[in-house]
Amino acid sequence: MTINPTGKATTKKETFSRETSVAISIDANRSIIWQLLTNADDMPRWNSTITALDGDILAGGKIHLKSILDDKRVFKLTVKKLAAEIEMVWGDKSGDRVFRLENGPNDSIIFSMHEKIGGWMFPLYARYIPDFDESFEQFAADLKREAESIQQTASE
Amino acid sequence: MDNNQFTAEFESFRGQLKSFILRMTASVQDSEDIVQETYIKAHNSLDSFRGESTLKTWVFAIGANLARDALRSKKRWPENVTDICKEAALGNEVFFQEAMQIRHTSPQGHFEIKEHIAFCFTCVSRSLPLEQQLVVFLKEVYAFKVSEIAGIIDQTEAMVKYYLHVGRQKMIEVFDHRCSLINKQGVCHQCTELNGIFNPKQDIQQELVKIRMVKDAENENKEALFDLRMKILQELDPFESPAAELQLHHLEHNRKVMEEKQ
Repeated sequence: MTINPTGKATTKKETFSRETSVAISIDANRSIIWQLLTNADDMPRWNSTITALDGDILAGGKIHLKSILDDKRVFKLTVKKLAAEIEMVWGDKSGDRVFRLENGPNDSIIFSMHEKIGGWMFPLYARYIPDFDESFEQFAADLKREAESIQQTASE
Repeated sequence: MDNNQFTAEFESFRGQLKSFILRMTASVQDSEDIVQETYIKAHNSLDSFRGESTLKTWVFAIGANLARDALRSKKRWPENVTDICKEAALGNEVFFQEAMQIRHTSPQGHFEIKEHIAFCFTCVSRSLPLEQQLVVFLKEVYAFKVSEIAGIIDQTEAMVKYYLHVGRQKMIEVFDHRCSLINKQGVCHQCTELNGIFNPKQDIQQELVKIRMVKDAENENKEALFDLRMKILQELDPFESPAAELQLHHLEHNRKVMEEKQ
């Protein structure tokens, strides 16, 4: 799914699934953005949507995540795919979250995040799952702010 | 560059290199060994020095790599390293006897709060991931440029900026939480406690206001206070200062305690 890098999240709801996406343009080096996305220890510092993150973000790694959406629940996720500085997929049996970095205009990087949850039981529990739009937008905005701040570090 | 020129230039920054290695490794012996090994390695490969950087940057790259090799197999220390080592020291009568002996007999046996602030940073910085610790020291204490550090640690400038930013933020957060000199709620008072032991007649408040980081603690933001802390490290040579022997004794104690736990 290609969406405009406005930082605004969109959600597509269907009977057996729900997909939320956000994309944002970031004026920072790809390596900086990637490090921010893959350093689990540091993520709660800059990412206001994550309250705790334990584990190693590497291919096949297991991570335990607590989010502002439900601080009592620990999401036990597996890093299903990791292509350095390009794409990463976290997920569990009910869905996957895809993080992607692509080249944008004027040396910018387009960060996109997409999550699809669903399954044949989805209609039974869909109403208990909070809306992701706001936290997706906050995640993207936090990443942009932090990466651009690091990029602007004086070289001298 | 001939051998004499090399040796003369090396000697001009040997002290900085040695203090950098000490602050990385927290080991007097390692800093002496690594500096010596750096000299030999640089001397033997002087032909490969093409002048693309300064000699100092080139030599620091060799020293940083040797320090990295020495540290790679060792566990990083926890943020509360000074609490752990304080507990160990309280149960170690010999440590205090030796420290008092140094305090009363050595010309480098003074106890100064500033020295302890630098010592404390050396210990706590070992809680950073190795690359972040390297970059924070190289940039904030030894004043290398980002581009020079990229050459020293063989990384891109972007990565150096990342390590620097994250390392700084982590240290700012740790000291803001721990250091009672900058935060009244800080949980660590070791420097003032030790000052009471080693300088019992001194008025601690008078001493503290001489330190800008402490004097300005209420008015400055966390970033500025971190910069003031770094300034203290910049201005001190841990081997040459009037408090060197006492602080190095303390550092050796902490290193041994932490290595025994690994």
